[in-house]
Amino acid sequence: MPVLELREVTKAFPGVLANDRVSFVLEKGEIVALLGENGAGKSTVMNVVYGLLSPDGGEVLMDGRPARIKSPRQAIDLGIGMVHQHFMLVEPLTVTENIVLGREPGRFGVIDFATARRRVEELSLRYGLKVDPDARIVDLPVGMQQRVEILKALYQGVRVLILDEPTAVLTPQEVRELFSVIRSLVDEGLSVVFITHKLEEVMAVADRIIVMRAGRVVGETTPEKTDDVGLARMMVGRDVVLRIEKTTKPTCRDTVLHVEGLRVPSDRGLEAVAGVTFSVCGGEIVAVAGVSGNGQTELVESIVGLRRPSAGTILLKGVDITRADARTSIEAGLSHIPEDRHRRGLILQFDLAENLVLGDHRVAPYAKGPLMRPGKVSAMAVTRIADYDIRTPSAGVIAGNLSGGNQQKLVVAREIGRNPELLVAAQPTRGLDVGAIEFVHRQILAARESGKAVLLVSLELEEVLLLADRVLVMYEGRIVKELSSGEADAETLGYYMTGGGGEKLNAQERQAPAHGGDA
Amino acid sequence: MLGDIITPDLFASALRMATPLALAAIGGTICERAGVVNIALEGIMLTGAFFGTAMVLLTGSPWLGVIAAVASGAGISAVHAFASINLRSNQVISGTAINLLALGLTGFLMELWYGHPGTTDPIKVLRPIFNFESPGGGAIAEAWRWFDSIVFSHTPIVYLTILIAIVAQVAIHRTKWGLRLRALGEHPRAVDTVGVSVYRGRWVAVLMSGALAGLAGANLTIEQVGSFTENMTNGRGFIALAANIFGRWTPVGSYLASLLFGFADALQIKLQILRGVVSIPPQLFLMLPYLLTVIVLAGVIGRAVAPAAVGEPYEKG
Amino acid sequence: MNEKREQPVLVQRRWMVAAQKIGAPLISASLAVVVGSLIIWASGYDPRAAFIALFEGSFGSPKAIGDTLLKATPLILTGLAVAYGFRAGLFNIGAEGQLFLGGLAATWLGLSLAGLPWFLLIPLMLLASMLAGAAWAFVPAILKARIGAHEVITTMMFTYIGRYLVSYLVIGPLKAPGQIPQTAELPDAGQLSRIQALFSEATLASFEFLKLGRGHLGIVVAVLAAVLVWFVLKYTTLGYENRAVGFNPWASQTAGISVQWTTVKALCISGGLAGLAGSTEVMGVHHRLFDQFSSGFGFTGIAVALLAKNHPIGVIPAALLFGALAAGAGRMQFQADVPQKIVLIIQALVIFFVAAEEIVLWFIRRRQKEAVSHAG
Repeated sequence: MPVLELREVTKAFPGVLANDRVSFVLEKGEIVALLGENGAGKSTVMNVVYGLLSPDGGEVLMDGRPARIKSPRQAIDLGIGMVHQHFMLVEPLTVTENIVLGREPGRFGVIDFATARRRVEELSLRYGLKVDPDARIVDLPVGMQQRVEILKALYQGVRVLILDEPTAVLTPQEVRELFSVIRSLVDEGLSVVFITHKLEEVMAVADRIIVMRAGRVVGETTPEKTDDVGLARMMVGRDVVLRIEKTTKPTCRDTVLHVEGLRVPSDRGLEAVAGVTFSVCGGEIVAVAGVSGNGQTELVESIVGLRRPSAGTILLKGVDITRADARTSIEAGLSHIPEDRHRRGLILQFDLAENLVLGDHRVAPYAKGPLMRPGKVSAMAVTRIADYDIRTPSAGVIAGNLSGGNQQKLVVAREIGRNPELLVAAQPTRGLDVGAIEFVHRQILAARESGKAVLLVSLELEEVLLLADRVLVMYEGRIVKELSSGEADAETLGYYMTGGGGEKLNAQERQAPAHGGDA
Repeated sequence: MLGDIITPDLFASALRMATPLALAAIGGTICERAGVVNIALEGIMLTGAFFGTAMVLLTGSPWLGVIAAVASGAGISAVHAFASINLRSNQVISGTAINLLALGLTGFLMELWYGHPGTTDPIKVLRPIFNFESPGGGAIAEAWRWFDSIVFSHTPIVYLTILIAIVAQVAIHRTKWGLRLRALGEHPRAVDTVGVSVYRGRWVAVLMSGALAGLAGANLTIEQVGSFTENMTNGRGFIALAANIFGRWTPVGSYLASLLFGFADALQIKLQILRGVVSIPPQLFLMLPYLLTVIVLAGVIGRAVAPAAVGEPYEKG
Repeated sequence: MNEKREQPVLVQRRWMVAAQKIGAPLISASLAVVVGSLIIWASGYDPRAAFIALFEGSFGSPKAIGDTLLKATPLILTGLAVAYGFRAGLFNIGAEGQLFLGGLAATWLGLSLAGLPWFLLIPLMLLASMLAGAAWAFVPAILKARIGAHEVITTMMFTYIGRYLVSYLVIGPLKAPGQIPQTAELPDAGQLSRIQALFSEATLASFEFLKLGRGHLGIVVAVLAAVLVWFVLKYTTLGYENRAVGFNPWASQTAGISVQWTTVKALCISGGLAGLAGSTEVMGVHHRLFDQFSSGFGFTGIAVALLAKNHPIGVIPAALLFGALAAGAGRMQFQADVPQKIVLIIQALVIFFVAAEEIVLWFIRRRQKEAVSHAG
């Protein structure tokens, strides 16, 4: 009898059928990978199982019995736990406090912290998940935080653990450790659902693979019976174009961006960028590759004028913009596709025209002195909407009402349409579906063809390999390696991204506290 | 002259003046730790002050008055809880509405019940608990006079407030309720996903803050003034919010910050009484607590960190 | 759950949007009046008599209409003040204090420059009141922009400080001879004329509706201010940046808008508008300054702004409603015995229902949005 079974689970949102009769089973002690691209409905179906969403049809069975799961509480009581993409951890609290939250040991409402701590230690010993029970979450690296999440589920006594895109924030080293943790969990009798869109992970860890596309289960297989190409075809529904041919060779006509000895502090006052030097030429795409949290965000923010560097210089076409604010940088010819488009890219309550003029709203022809020129703005908006294929009935629609892909097109239309000298694109395709990804890639390549300098920051190695003329690998705030597009492949990049190639002694010293987990 | 100002009575008065501020500030602390901003402390305090007085006028019992004040404070804060938790309306706007409502309701009922605006008849008040004989002269007697005045001259709620500050401080750090409260204000979804009700936790916190602010109102009328006057809270609820921030969202910190504001208040009263000696207009002294509040906020805010999810309505699911 | 997928764009017809915008506040106001009536009824009064008196006192005669205009004048301006702040994401709860400072500045200037002709003196006094109101908002604005001190607490504290300042000045340095703590009367050239004073006796005799009693020209100033604020928000870069920061400070910052500077400008402009309310009160109604010259217009402005959905033109009818309540309250107490304080309760209820109705609308929108954001 399977531990968990889904029978024809259907979930519709107005206008979208997120899950269309999704069925599959999970056996005891099994690792099932739920594979699909963004928007395929993987998270939706698991949120149904976890009681965060209620299904419109079908049923969920636990131990062969129909389970009506209406809240996470019920899911936990049934033995289902979920580790979300965004951790459900309270940052200022300690590891122990987070783990026991909701089921605190103690009497008369007073928490018995000694017992709580002991139970955490027991669990971490049993499953090989080393953590410091007294550390505060905010002080832990993400890999360690994920362990706390898993421990929290184990403390609650779950038998089915759902991991939603667990590797997105991890270094390859941490990914390997996570996989061994997952194996030890199934050895102890747990069952695991592993949600991902990364083929190699599926091949590495899954016992069985369930592929979803557009809300449906489109196939089921095992790592033995398939390979990358077959899985990709199943996932996307057609053969995937793995290379876009660039028509021109990069020619360095002139240096557009030059960064010299740049040091940038993080929010917490640590040195996030620790002395970085590089240049980007016109007509060239330079990609910054690296695992999340190695200083890329701070690097981008300092270049675009959102964060003040502590040392070094940034020159845009020879003009010093080291201490310039965002406005000065924009006026100097910089465009920026921000990492977080909801927070920084768009004003969701503004209409399309108002969003398209954002940043250019006080320069001619869109403004004259203190006055805006609505006629010019809407004429521009109509042109951009057509040029960038933004699907909307009119320029007067509120941006928040567009789909994610169209919202990103809106940002791209504004930033590339501005005709900048330098385009800084941070994670420009995160969360988009294949069609929108291709569109954004084509626009970035077109910007390159027209002689613009492009600085691309991406966590997706495929994207880096596809677009970049040169790749800078960032690790712990430094550029540890520069590769030409010919030299770069996933393996080499992965090696340098995790600190490989640095001085051997240093790397080993670092590994113990950072990844060993006995902190 | 300084000897006229720095007297044991000044410090005793500071402790008294600090009491309503501290109660409301601790209420604010609990509420904000749960993730709900309580701009309504001012109005809740006023409500408590009024209903406390009304109950004493009705029954002649100060203690029943205190109970009425606490109950009415909790009652009107339920409106804030419903609006900001269940309806997910803007918490600051909801609080503003409560402040206006309290002002209107107390004024309206005042005319309805007592037939006139302004101030009620005097009520029976709570007396100081201790009443020790002061010994004769000498340095020891002088020291005792200071000690007696500062420590033993107070009414019950003044002592109760100190107790509440300490108990709340311990409870926030050592109990299940406290752990969940701290988590609620930082990451309510984390609390929800381990099966603890966010709505319930926030409701309890808002009601507690209402009860405490109601008690603050009782202290004002049933212990300090001895009658109710329209709008008598005079911005204390807002000063209490500042005290909560200055106290870094901790009960004991809130109490200590309130002592500072209480001292400013006591000082300005003292200076007013001594107007003959210091010829400065009283209005300038009356400004003192408000000015001090702005100065304290200007000095402290950059370094104090509010609970991460404070002010954000929580949606289930 | 940031994953999104293709989704038909939600289109709302223009008239539907308009109907929603106008209809919703009407429902809120009506609900507040209904609950207010219930309170009146439960208190043992006759709600019907109360509302008849209220109506007669506010719209029943040209004179009553004049009173309504009189009360609506400062409310339009404080409503604009609060609304302009809200449009930048700021809650200027301290409009009352800025109003006091505006009244103070206008009075002081009017008394100091008593010899000037009206066409110089009146604009100067109005300008002075705006500058004073802006100045009173400046410290809270700087504290907000530089260190994030909450403007609700700081502007509130400045309200108390401002009131005590005025109270001190009218008892002390600015006090006119006599028993009453008030300033001397403004020169005629520094007063805003009553509307009916613009017309001859003969005209008034044939056009009864022009006999607007105490209604004064401040209403013209207020309406012009509303139109100006509307224009600024809609057609200037200043207004565009104000709205952008109000909706999304992070995106605004990314686009090169200084959030700090916009915050300072917004709160000072807000303070200036509130200050203007102070001068129209002094120049049009009391003709002098004293302790209690504002009956909480700054706080009522919050209700006005919320009811108007922070739309500058919407502020005008919202202010007329609250103006009518204020104007009719006296007659209601006199005729139906209902305490005037009921008006405050109704104001509070309006704020609640506006907030609650926001929820209803927002909830509809959210359900549609959820469709997009959960499709992952």
